[in-house]
Amino acid sequence: MTISRREIIKTGLAAGAAISIPSVLRAKAASGSTPTVHMVKANDLRIFDPIFTATNVTADHGLAIYDTLFGLDSKFMPQPQMVGKWSVSADRKTYTFELRDGLAWHDDTPVTAGDCVASIRRWGQVAPGGQLIMERAGDISKKDDKTFVISLKEPLGILIDLLADLSPPCLFIMREKDASRPATEQVTTNIGSGPFRFNDALVKPGASYTYDRNEKYVPRQEPADGLAGGKIVKVDRIIWDNISDPQTAFAALQAGEIDYVEQPPNDLLSVIESDPNLVVDVLDKSGKSMLLRLNCLQKPFDNVKARQAMLHLIDQEAFMSVLAPKYGASVTSIFGGDTLYSNDENTGWYKKGGDPEKAKQLFKEAGYAGEKVVVLQATDWAPSNDGSQLLAAALRNIGINVELAPSDWGGLSTRRAKKDSIENGGWSMFITSEADFSLANPLATPLLLANGESAWYGWPKNDEYEALRAKWATVATLEERKALARQMQGLWWDFVGDVRLGHYVSPMARRKTLTDIIGLPQVVPMWNMQKA
Amino acid sequence: MAAYVFRRLVSTIAVMAMVGIFVFLLLRLAPGDPAAMIAGRSATEEMIAGIREKLGLNDPMPVQFIHWVRDMLSGDFGTSIFAGRPVLELMSQRLEPTVSLSSLTMLVSVMIGVSFGILAAWRAGGPIDRLLTAFSALGFSVPVFVVGYFLVYFFAMRAQLLPVQGYKPISQGLGPWFEHLILPTVALSVAYIAFIARITRASMLEVLSEDYMRTAAAKGASSFAMLFHHALKNAGVPILTVVGISFAYLIGGVVLTETVFNIPGIGRLVVDAINNRDYPIIQSVLILTSGLYVFINLTVDLAYTLIDPRIRY
Repeated sequence: MTISRREIIKTGLAAGAAISIPSVLRAKAASGSTPTVHMVKANDLRIFDPIFTATNVTADHGLAIYDTLFGLDSKFMPQPQMVGKWSVSADRKTYTFELRDGLAWHDDTPVTAGDCVASIRRWGQVAPGGQLIMERAGDISKKDDKTFVISLKEPLGILIDLLADLSPPCLFIMREKDASRPATEQVTTNIGSGPFRFNDALVKPGASYTYDRNEKYVPRQEPADGLAGGKIVKVDRIIWDNISDPQTAFAALQAGEIDYVEQPPNDLLSVIESDPNLVVDVLDKSGKSMLLRLNCLQKPFDNVKARQAMLHLIDQEAFMSVLAPKYGASVTSIFGGDTLYSNDENTGWYKKGGDPEKAKQLFKEAGYAGEKVVVLQATDWAPSNDGSQLLAAALRNIGINVELAPSDWGGLSTRRAKKDSIENGGWSMFITSEADFSLANPLATPLLLANGESAWYGWPKNDEYEALRAKWATVATLEERKALARQMQGLWWDFVGDVRLGHYVSPMARRKTLTDIIGLPQVVPMWNMQKA
Repeated sequence: MAAYVFRRLVSTIAVMAMVGIFVFLLLRLAPGDPAAMIAGRSATEEMIAGIREKLGLNDPMPVQFIHWVRDMLSGDFGTSIFAGRPVLELMSQRLEPTVSLSSLTMLVSVMIGVSFGILAAWRAGGPIDRLLTAFSALGFSVPVFVVGYFLVYFFAMRAQLLPVQGYKPISQGLGPWFEHLILPTVALSVAYIAFIARITRASMLEVLSEDYMRTAAAKGASSFAMLFHHALKNAGVPILTVVGISFAYLIGGVVLTETVFNIPGIGRLVVDAINNRDYPIIQSVLILTSGLYVFINLTVDLAYTLIDPRIRY
């Protein structure tokens, strides 16, 4: 049997033609396609109920399909969204809200005041802001189909701010029958009254989620401004593709199969920046603070001197150069890098490059005697993985007996809840982060609590600080609140409720054809964006 | 034969039961908490405790085990803790991509691997044999994700001939389905082609040195008849064994390829479930996969009788 050269050439040409068919078909398909945006979110949408979980991706899902009573504008001022008119009584204890016209659920039934009441009650079970409202509320009730009332036992000056807060879990308005479930039980439907409808038929858990424009949504007349104003959807469909491999997501972005990647890895940013079709952009300008939580219940950090030693030890510039090169900076305020309440009270501990000698001295004063210090290291979250190694090296340099405890975030989540000693599986410190927007509200974030064993992991305790924090809800003016913030921070850095590793913003990558994305902390709204 | 098949099927149940107990204990004893994963990074202890209670994770381990076995025996494989959907529904969504990728990979691997092996054995010691041996070594050495990225770079990004990632169900047309599977199949096939080619070459070399092959040559049999009629049939049992084992490994081993090419298959479902501590998914997939492994082995054993009539059960 012989094969001629001509046959080989013929076979090669046929194979070439066969291979090129798919690209021709794809080109044809693309030319006739409707405007569909493909987004790769930072995390998979594992939970659909935005009250059941505080994750940002679920909050974004909530923002798409549900609506809110109020929305924060770009200056973080609350503006009515579902609410048409609202008023407060002279004694500032009774708030009356009237829904605007045209609000309807995706199943075409009208939104009622009863839905709002049930939603506030459910949100009030889990959200710190909601819990505060529930504590102060004498009654929350429906007056008629469009009107409801919140009656307070005492005035709560920040009530509207709390209703509009965008720190997850946010107050999304759900149908009364959904909102009647306990907050610890997931809502099983995805029916909201928001500008997008969730396409249940196309959902592939772990793979892709489809949002279609809600043709019947009646937006407000004002122009879009943050979460306030008209929510006008300018694309037909948005698909969240869950691409777990960042390299694949980047390749898909370059090839035009994806329009937006929420959290591209740092090492690819320079490549993305050099591509003429792509843009690196920062949507959340206020960014996040990277924190180190210390276990205040166990040695050596049950001693305040040891906690103060950590303040002096940290070289924030070094940490940020590793964790967020180009996008990191130092931070000294407990309220974040640049928020309304950021201040410089009691920040004398900060020194560029850190002060290891001072740290060593403070550990000595704390009576440190070689006890094991366990750093919980989440290997599946880069800041924790890399930061913990840097942290361990800095501690070893001053003679601290450090042990890294690597696990995934799930393992860390379990172990951080243990209040036991190190010998019994406890821990000493772990790295986490929090949005500056949340840190600017000590009533909304659990990370700024200092009520001992009821506080967030690490369990710092300072009664004087807690008394000041309780005043946050009652002070009337911004200036008074700023003064209060300074006092709180003064105390916080004395008892060292946590240690800051720096401040950073997270850049996203998009194709140049995708424009007008609304930039906010914590959440990424999908209305207003356009695709050329 | 029927008694043999029956015995093997009974042993399958025993294997699946062992796997079930092992997986259940492993998951419960491993660190990590689905409630903490659900609640989010900034969640409070109260939020996590509430979710744990609701999910029944506070029940004693034996109670959880009994509930799981009871439900499974009644055909209920549970509901995903995260997605809130039945595990069987999620698995059925993910089955088509994995079966498509695995089947195409096996088809390509067997066709090319066996051909390469025969060619190498036929021309043993010559340039073709050395070339194919070098290819086999390369195929073994280069990880599948490296081959994957290489293919994506040249064929998807530079030449723009094929898509970078994703999967289209066969219901959306044979063209898009095939188009999305070309690169992953090639990437995954390289190692299997190398493996099957080496085994085929070794088996064929052994058979080609047998007396009856010399007799066939002396009787004037053509090369084709010698290779395919006499040699390949007799070298078939070890090749079939390798193909069977490869297919079984492939089912569980496609996860890297599924990740690189963003194919929503069973492999990624399990990896995501492990990361999330989604117990019902992990347990169900592993149980069913263990059953599949046993079934493939049984099929291979039965196929031996077709190749070699001397084998009887």
